[in-house]
Amino acid sequence: MLKDITVSFAPHISQPLSTRRVMIDVAIGLLPAVAVAGIYFRIHALLLIGTCVAWCAATEWVCNRIRRKPNSLGDFSAVVTGIILALSLPPALPLWAAAIGSAVSIVVGKMAFGGLGANVFNPAMVGRAFLTASFGVMMTTWTVPASIDSGMPTLSPGDAVDTRTQATPLAWSKTAIKEGGEAKTYSSRLFLSTMTGEVAGCLGETSAIAILLGGAYLLWRKTIGFHIPAAVLGSAFVAAAIAYLVNADTYVQPFFHLTSGALLFGAFFIATDPVTAPLTRRGMWLFGIGIGTITMIIRILGEYPEGMMFAVLLMNAVTPLIDRLCKRIPAGGKSHA
Amino acid sequence: MTDDLRDKRTFSRGVHPPESKHVTEDRPIEPGPAVGELSILLSQHIGAPCQAAVKKGDLVEAGQKIGECQAFVCAPVHAPVPGKVRDLALKPHPVLGRCQAIAIEARDPARPSLPSFDLPADFDPARYKPDEICEAVRDAGLVGMGGAGFPTSVKIQPDAKPPKHTLLVNGCECEPYITCDYRVMLEWTDQVLAGIRLAQRACGASKVFIGIEDNKPKAIEAMTTAIARAGSAGDIRVVPLQTKYPQGGERQLINAVLGQTVPTGGIPPMIGVVVINVATAAAIADAVLYNRPLTHRVVTVTGEAIARPGNYYVSIGTPIEALIEFCGGVTEKSAKVVMGGPMMGLAIADLRTPITKTGGAVTVLTRHQIGQAKFERRQTACIRCGRCLEVCPENLNPTRIAHAVKSNLLDVAESDFISACIECGCCSYVCPANIELTGYIKTGKIFLARQRKKMPA
Repeated sequence: MLKDITVSFAPHISQPLSTRRVMIDVAIGLLPAVAVAGIYFRIHALLLIGTCVAWCAATEWVCNRIRRKPNSLGDFSAVVTGIILALSLPPALPLWAAAIGSAVSIVVGKMAFGGLGANVFNPAMVGRAFLTASFGVMMTTWTVPASIDSGMPTLSPGDAVDTRTQATPLAWSKTAIKEGGEAKTYSSRLFLSTMTGEVAGCLGETSAIAILLGGAYLLWRKTIGFHIPAAVLGSAFVAAAIAYLVNADTYVQPFFHLTSGALLFGAFFIATDPVTAPLTRRGMWLFGIGIGTITMIIRILGEYPEGMMFAVLLMNAVTPLIDRLCKRIPAGGKSHA
Repeated sequence: MTDDLRDKRTFSRGVHPPESKHVTEDRPIEPGPAVGELSILLSQHIGAPCQAAVKKGDLVEAGQKIGECQAFVCAPVHAPVPGKVRDLALKPHPVLGRCQAIAIEARDPARPSLPSFDLPADFDPARYKPDEICEAVRDAGLVGMGGAGFPTSVKIQPDAKPPKHTLLVNGCECEPYITCDYRVMLEWTDQVLAGIRLAQRACGASKVFIGIEDNKPKAIEAMTTAIARAGSAGDIRVVPLQTKYPQGGERQLINAVLGQTVPTGGIPPMIGVVVINVATAAAIADAVLYNRPLTHRVVTVTGEAIARPGNYYVSIGTPIEALIEFCGGVTEKSAKVVMGGPMMGLAIADLRTPITKTGGAVTVLTRHQIGQAKFERRQTACIRCGRCLEVCPENLNPTRIAHAVKSNLLDVAESDFISACIECGCCSYVCPANIELTGYIKTGKIFLARQRKKMPA
């Protein structure tokens, strides 16, 4: 009667959701930031994003060939890594440097650990850390958005020397800390620009509105939970508020810290990378608070103006410990009655 | 609303699979197929298997006890039809693989007739002694008909400690597709209620709640009306519950209705609660009032691949093959035959597997319904997205447990409370990497049991 019946464990039906769909959702969430990058940094943005995505995908394909593993490009995680890496790079970075960063992201950040799901550190941040350590000047050369300097789009990428550059909002706030006294002027002048993105900075990190839009999409799709972004932003706000209360002349107001630099982008798109974040909710709160606090410590007390990348990598390293610390307690309590 | 009830009327977490009840919910209970040979398995319950009380060649009458109990936690089995014992042999069993069974050749195969049940006008549970009720239930071979199959007489016995204060009747039927309990509540309402009152009398519970998911408004209405008619509104209440899987899980139901939590590793009587299924309640009334043993049950034969789906009154021991054939056979698309529903049911490898006391449904699924990835059992790496943690009704960490089992780290699995898993399947259902988390956890439990020598290898 019936020839080919399958036998397997229950359940026999499943939600139509795949890893690929999750990754595509993240990519869709990144679209507003990509669009804003395109508006303000024109050809630089598109070339950088294209280069990173292509190199991430190509590197993953090659790694799988060498490891004799099935092709894993179908899960789109390499594409997401490429976009996130590109959006966290300065607009005028030479394309060859972006290509190196992409390859490092995939090889060192992901495939060396065994591919998707096994990596300890966020691949995009591994690549970015490598670039920061290797090409310090290029990684801190900030191009002025095209709407401010119309001459910019004609520049060939890589020709960073002639580019008109500008300090990032966080560099300004760092200057205020070091030289004192002008924090209020800076923050009131630049706050609106950090919302729209019409300011110098990494490709995808300048516009708070675009990031919030994408973040809202991810929350609505339940691709990410609110715990990590809330913990990162909440703890960063508290730390910034403490500094502001201590000396409002030296330290910029806390909202300015939230909208400028990588904090918002990181809270929604980098820290929420499920592979490198804790599993339990309590763990997510700890993880997020750690990222927010470390970022603010670096921004306020450290030498660098920005600390999101270091904070994420540091907290990635302790994620296994957090998972061990924050065990789930069964609904019926701990006892093995 | 009394203090015993909470506002939310559901447990936390869980999933919302497509309900798919429309296939059979409006089909009244009909007599099932006439079967020439029935296989009565000797282990259809939790506890010791029963011993055959007949020999090969013996003639048996309908309702005759053919499997006896030697242990306390056990339930006897009875012949559903008159006939001859053809053989005592190993037969396919949905859980155990194979199990000792009594094969009966029916004298003249006929479709079972629907039982008549006329509640006596002067029916009063107080006239039955608790021990009498228990005895009748035990003799009739009653087990929990919702799935687990724990002997009912052990559950409702009066002298157990601690005292039971609440009887919870499970009319949730949270599994997709299955509608047998729903039809029983609609068509045999008075019988169900009589059984509930007898069970209440036996276990001495002062309060009774009937939990029904709110996707069955007709059942809620029918039960409420019947309670009012019987004048039991004082101590029996219908509690509508949110439609969510696994609302009908014993521990989830207790949590939803009473707001109490059964301790990990514990059982409901520890907090003074007895849970029975509505079909079991109907069988209790049959057993106590008419001395009818449990030889037939309502089975939902369903799924998009079945030609004539419906709710059938079927002899226990009917091979699934015969039942499917009776329902018009299967279409070419069918890929999986499941005993039970798609979330917790067992995929059947041998279609000669007989219907048991606990098997409320036969679901035939198409490849399309299983999903291509699940059909090919293609798993990808865990991306630690945490969806399984979000849905686990027991608040476990399924991915950690499953991966511990996969790496053969049973001690890690144990310290992550593998034994607290109720195997509801929510984690596998949501996993975007298509990992069979529930399967790994079930496997881990078997490994652990073998380590402790509780189970032969």
